[in-house]
Amino acid sequence: MSLYILPILFLFIFLYAHAKKVNCYDTFINGAKKSIPLVVDIFPYIAAIMIAVSLLRTSGITSLLADFTSPIFNLLGIPTELIELVLLRPFTGSGSYALLNDVLLTYGADSYISRCACVILGCSETIFYVTTIYMSQTKVKKLLYAIPVALICSIVGSILACLLCKIM
Amino acid sequence: MNKIWLCMIILSICFLLWTDPGSVLSQMLDSSKDALTLSIELCAVYAVWLGILELVEKSGLSEKLARVLHPIIKKVFNINDPLTERLIAMNISANMLGLGNASTPLAIKAIKQMDTGSPVASTAMIMLIVINATSIQLLPTTVIGLRQAAGSTSAADIILPTLITTIFTTILAIFLVKLCAKLFKRGEK
Repeated sequence: MSLYILPILFLFIFLYAHAKKVNCYDTFINGAKKSIPLVVDIFPYIAAIMIAVSLLRTSGITSLLADFTSPIFNLLGIPTELIELVLLRPFTGSGSYALLNDVLLTYGADSYISRCACVILGCSETIFYVTTIYMSQTKVKKLLYAIPVALICSIVGSILACLLCKIM
Repeated sequence: MNKIWLCMIILSICFLLWTDPGSVLSQMLDSSKDALTLSIELCAVYAVWLGILELVEKSGLSEKLARVLHPIIKKVFNINDPLTERLIAMNISANMLGLGNASTPLAIKAIKQMDTGSPVASTAMIMLIVINATSIQLLPTTVIGLRQAAGSTSAADIILPTLITTIFTTILAIFLVKLCAKLFKRGEK
């Protein structure tokens, strides 16, 4: 079912644009052209965040932090096995998918731990990564309460995910 | 962001100094290379999406979409610029379909459009960031794909809990941003 959504959507967009007498070829080229300057602009931001995350992981700080905070997370209903995932999720997309894959292979795809991990990833985003990239084109320096609020929502989401996987 | 990033770097280097000092530079170079690889991949992905999105924009579809979502966007973001509204409408739709890579360039454009040159983020900007951060996803395609690959017998059974969680956190996010915006305004007076 979900396999068909995108191709049908694309087909609809092309046909609709053609019906509206838009020159599809030129318009597509015009849009696609913008991808290179965009990526050139955001590359340094991606590099900076990825360097910091890889240093954090190799230094062992994240696993140390996971051990250290496990009583709190366990109290909230988040299993110890998933703490590193919850901690790293705000920083790295590819990193957290790699962690999810580890969890899936270690505990089995249909285990409680794996289902929790899937829901946590499905309902959260890479907050720090997204924020830096979104802001990369502006002069904004003060984000006020943006990051704390996003983090709170993400933690609440993780707690809810673990709870729902228990009962569903 | 400066403080967070600096803390991450300094703490990590301090730790690595007495565990594995040789790995500092090699790790940094490796991840910079990973970032470049990712950027090149993103460039290709964005070319496809920006091309399609230009068609959506030029054919007037985005206007239609914005009109459908207008009451919600109006209420949540409280903005008056029609272009920003269209961009946000497309960003949210892309998010719902689980197209993270399509929604990112849209959000960047929307934020740029809202930028007034002020160093402080506006409430609408924060709202967009937070809503994207809680990711209103109807179809977590990547996660389902990974789960299937790992041999799950019913890979799609995480859709319902994900949906409930994602709707709940998005509502919570909107509520919290509104609340904080009020508190901050009161603080300024």
